[in-house]
Amino acid sequence: MEIKRDILWRVSLCFVCIVAFSLLILARVFYIQQIQGGYWKDQARQQQQKFIEIDADRGTIYSEDGNMLSTSIPYFDIYIDFGADGLREKNGKRFTENIDSLSLKLASFFGDKGKSEYKKELQRQYAARNRYYLFKKNLTFQQYKVLRNFPLVRQGKNRSGFIAEVRNKRLNPYGLLANRTIGLSREFIDSDGKIKNSNVGLENTYDTVLKGESGKKLVRYIAGGVYVPVEGYVIEPEEGRDIVTTLDVNIQDITENALLRMMEENECTNGTAIVMEVKTGKIKAIANLGRREDGTYWEDLNYAIRASEPGSTFKLASMLALLEDKYATLDNHVDLERGVWHVARRTVYDSERHNKTDVTLKDAFKYSSNVGMAKMVWMNYSRDPVKYINHLKKLRFNVSSGIDLVGETQPIVKSPKSKTWSATSLPWMSFGYEVLVSPLQTLMLYNAVANNGKMMRPYLVNEVSQDGIAMKKFQPEVLEESICSESTLKQLQESLWGVCQEEGGTGYLLFKNSPYTVAGKTGTALVANGKRGYSDHIYQSSFAGYFPAKNPKYSMIVVIKNKPFAKKYYGASVAGPVFKEVSDKLYALMPDNERIPEPLETTPDSSNYSYAGLGIDIKAVLKEIGSVYRDSSGKSEYNVVMAKNGERVVRSRTLENNMPNVKGMGLKDALFILENRNVRVLAKGKGKVVAQSVSEGSPLEKGQVVVVELN
Amino acid sequence: MSHKNPAISRGVDWLMIWLYVALVAIGIMSIFSVTYREGESVIDGFLKLRSDYGKQTFFFILSLIIGLTILLTDSKFFTATANIWYAMGIFLLLLVFPFHTEVKGTESIIRFGSFQIQPAEICKIFVALALAKYLSRVETEFTKPRSQLIAVAIVVIPALITIAQKETGLALVFFAFFLVMFREGLPAIYLIVGFSFAVLVVATLLVEKNTLAIVLTVIAAIAVYLSRRQIKRNRQLLVTIAAIWLVCVSIQRFAVPFMFTHVLQKHQVERIFSLIGRENPYAAINSVEGEVSTTKDTDYNVRQSKIAIGSGGVTGRGFLKGTQTRFDFVPEQRTDFIFCTIGEGFGFIGSFVFLALYLFLLLRIVSVAERQRSVFSRCYAYGVASVFFFHIAINICMTIGLAPVIGIPLPFISYGGTSLLTFSVMLAILIRLDADRQMVLR
Repeated sequence: MEIKRDILWRVSLCFVCIVAFSLLILARVFYIQQIQGGYWKDQARQQQQKFIEIDADRGTIYSEDGNMLSTSIPYFDIYIDFGADGLREKNGKRFTENIDSLSLKLASFFGDKGKSEYKKELQRQYAARNRYYLFKKNLTFQQYKVLRNFPLVRQGKNRSGFIAEVRNKRLNPYGLLANRTIGLSREFIDSDGKIKNSNVGLENTYDTVLKGESGKKLVRYIAGGVYVPVEGYVIEPEEGRDIVTTLDVNIQDITENALLRMMEENECTNGTAIVMEVKTGKIKAIANLGRREDGTYWEDLNYAIRASEPGSTFKLASMLALLEDKYATLDNHVDLERGVWHVARRTVYDSERHNKTDVTLKDAFKYSSNVGMAKMVWMNYSRDPVKYINHLKKLRFNVSSGIDLVGETQPIVKSPKSKTWSATSLPWMSFGYEVLVSPLQTLMLYNAVANNGKMMRPYLVNEVSQDGIAMKKFQPEVLEESICSESTLKQLQESLWGVCQEEGGTGYLLFKNSPYTVAGKTGTALVANGKRGYSDHIYQSSFAGYFPAKNPKYSMIVVIKNKPFAKKYYGASVAGPVFKEVSDKLYALMPDNERIPEPLETTPDSSNYSYAGLGIDIKAVLKEIGSVYRDSSGKSEYNVVMAKNGERVVRSRTLENNMPNVKGMGLKDALFILENRNVRVLAKGKGKVVAQSVSEGSPLEKGQVVVVELN
Repeated sequence: MSHKNPAISRGVDWLMIWLYVALVAIGIMSIFSVTYREGESVIDGFLKLRSDYGKQTFFFILSLIIGLTILLTDSKFFTATANIWYAMGIFLLLLVFPFHTEVKGTESIIRFGSFQIQPAEICKIFVALALAKYLSRVETEFTKPRSQLIAVAIVVIPALITIAQKETGLALVFFAFFLVMFREGLPAIYLIVGFSFAVLVVATLLVEKNTLAIVLTVIAAIAVYLSRRQIKRNRQLLVTIAAIWLVCVSIQRFAVPFMFTHVLQKHQVERIFSLIGRENPYAAINSVEGEVSTTKDTDYNVRQSKIAIGSGGVTGRGFLKGTQTRFDFVPEQRTDFIFCTIGEGFGFIGSFVFLALYLFLLLRIVSVAERQRSVFSRCYAYGVASVFFFHIAINICMTIGLAPVIGIPLPFISYGGTSLLTFSVMLAILIRLDADRQMVLR
């Protein structure tokens, strides 16, 4: 009996144990499925569906003349899903039927492998049931288009298993041209020691504009590690916008090549050349070259916007100060002391030894005499250096240029309060030492002189556009309406003219036989080489100026840093020839009317007139008087007749919805147009409209009074 | 059928056979739902053995043939040859050492050409037979320690060899046979000690060691207080309580840390700690240079498994619609984590029915065991029940995060020829023996 009871409890324990365990498991399953169910389901959804980013196409950077400077080119990677249902159905009928013709086509098109090799490769992957086999990489769009029509492939993704994935590569069609300014991604070593890429130049400055906004799409996971898009859950990316730069490919090419040739010949360390359009401040070309260890050159750093001691080109600023403060005129005499002058226990030397003593200020500038400039500035400003400094500040040498490029270094203009200010600071500043300004800033001054005193903001981007439609236009911007008085300006222009056009000027020989005139200034500066100071005899040669001198179209600066102990280092012999090469070519490219150095003599009304009015009326009148004219008006309602290159031209006059341009019209037309815009017109005088009180393009309000003056 | 062939079908427990067929069918269906891809030819998959479900079906048919053969065999054959089988099993296990092929980190597989066997898996049958044989001997008096020791040795020797082959999971299965010994009269004290030890180990892992020591001391103090009268009469009792306290504390202080640093392998330790959701405190000692922690992998498996089961809900996503299991999110889901497929596809109701089938089978085996006249059959039946129970409980607990991941298959369900054959043969022998339940086998 005892044994029986013992066995009974043992057996029942076994039963209980099994049942208890089962219940435990069941309870746990219940807990996971019912209590925590929501959480786990959520996890499952997260695993199976995810948002992936769709990259927006990066915008293109255009030159002003419409060439692509930097663009994204699509490349195609072809993958094959050998597990595609269509490919495998009916025991792989589709695959076996097409493989021979496909292999043949592939072999003849790509030519890298034979027909049988392609066939073997495809069969092997088919047998392995590879669901994501990388078949070809980096196909161009043209290649992809051809491939798409091959047997099997043309049956589409689901049947053939062929999947194309698009990648965008950034491409610079013009290679080195302005490369640094356009600024493709550059390698740099990050703080954590890894090599990374970052954009520089315009690609960086306008990155937010160019890159657009990436979209999103919801994808669902299916067997075999493949994600398929879920319909209806796509946020399309917003494509990046294009930017149209002010750069001109031709000018850039000319500039870059001229600079490169000189630098290669002279084994220079680095150099920059900038061409600016005088009237607007547009940068037409910007070249930056640095020598690499193997002796080749590359657009490595934007030297144009890096501040350095400018040297003699800076003397123009000193001249401006002296003339503006009326301490001197060009005819004032100064003793050059044979090129050696002691001041405050240091000695100013002229860069070339000479025996000149008593010359005019203009000549001192022409000869680029450090002594002359230092003496004049010292004599007049040593009691009040701030007055001199204030001129420099007005010329914006103390602030960065404001160009739309990142990476501009801060210029340094000392003041008597500065810690490093010494007795020699002022005289040395007068010929371009002890200040740090970028070549671009120097160019701004020369451009302002060429532009009759108006200093323009340099800029690189004309407009931001999308699909060819301008979204935002950048207009020329005046930084300083007038940098100096009219008379000072005339004297400055004369001085620069003298350097290049009068015998003895440092630039005279350079432009002696040119068919056009150049006004400019050479510069030769010793460059400090770190701790070694000036002992390495590294010279920075520069040339800044504008042309044609009487009617300037372009201003330009060339700054080249020579290698130590270079044979040629004068501004006129290193930077000057680059300037000349560019100006020669640009002059040749100019339209005829701009090439004529003297402005046109205008005869009123016969060669320069502009009458506007209703198109049919104008044409009727011209027909009536039997006048020959060129018609480029198209179908527009209002036209204007004017002279262009001695011919009579009828052009369209587009009228804005805001205030239109009514100049040149008779009162009848002007009244009709304006009153149609619900404004009150007040007319003075009789004849044609010569002035309107509200400028073209301004918004109009109902009942607003507009005054028109007739001649 | 029973008319034509009365010799075979007489006494056969059809209920167990139908349960068996149902479970294997569920298994093949689960494997099918995991591995089947749209567009595949199902017929090809089955007939040409291209697919896993085809292979599993093949092994099912093979099992049926072998099972039939076993049913045709005389029951006495098993009692007569039990020891020979056991010897052969040990021999096979030992053969693994010179001839093993390393597959996925295990060193327990012998390969002949394309055919491979895992002796540790098959050995379960032989141990069940040998243990039954030993316990059913007339001369065995299981109350004597010597007999108990021999019985324990029969079970522990193959287990130790298996551990040496880095198959701790399979080795643990052998300890399930203690259940048989318990039924046959192994004193309850062993079980109590074993259970207490397990509780102590778990407590050591969960409770801070000084707190645990204090708790143990308090328990000892309470025990002394409660039995103060007996102690007055019998000084021995105080010594015993003190000794137990000492042993407990030393286990908690020294034995467990030793086990985790020197006995268990690193990944096993990681799994255990990942189960209880703690950092491995022995990581520094365990770590082998250059080896990356596997905690994440273990966590990952169980997490994926839970996601799959958890997204089943009440009724499940439906057959072939369980996206987690269908799309390869759960690792090892054809083999160790096959339960996820049922959990995800058929939800709580499916899991309930499935577990009920298992429970029914287990209880059936136990009740069958109890109706045997011969001790051999009874012991063998208990052996089968213990092994099945251990496999089912640990495997499912593993997938729902109740047990560490030790990688043992779910009987009749998990993909794998050897395991299906082994479980089938075990059950077939049981059915054969049961058919002769009126006989007394020695």
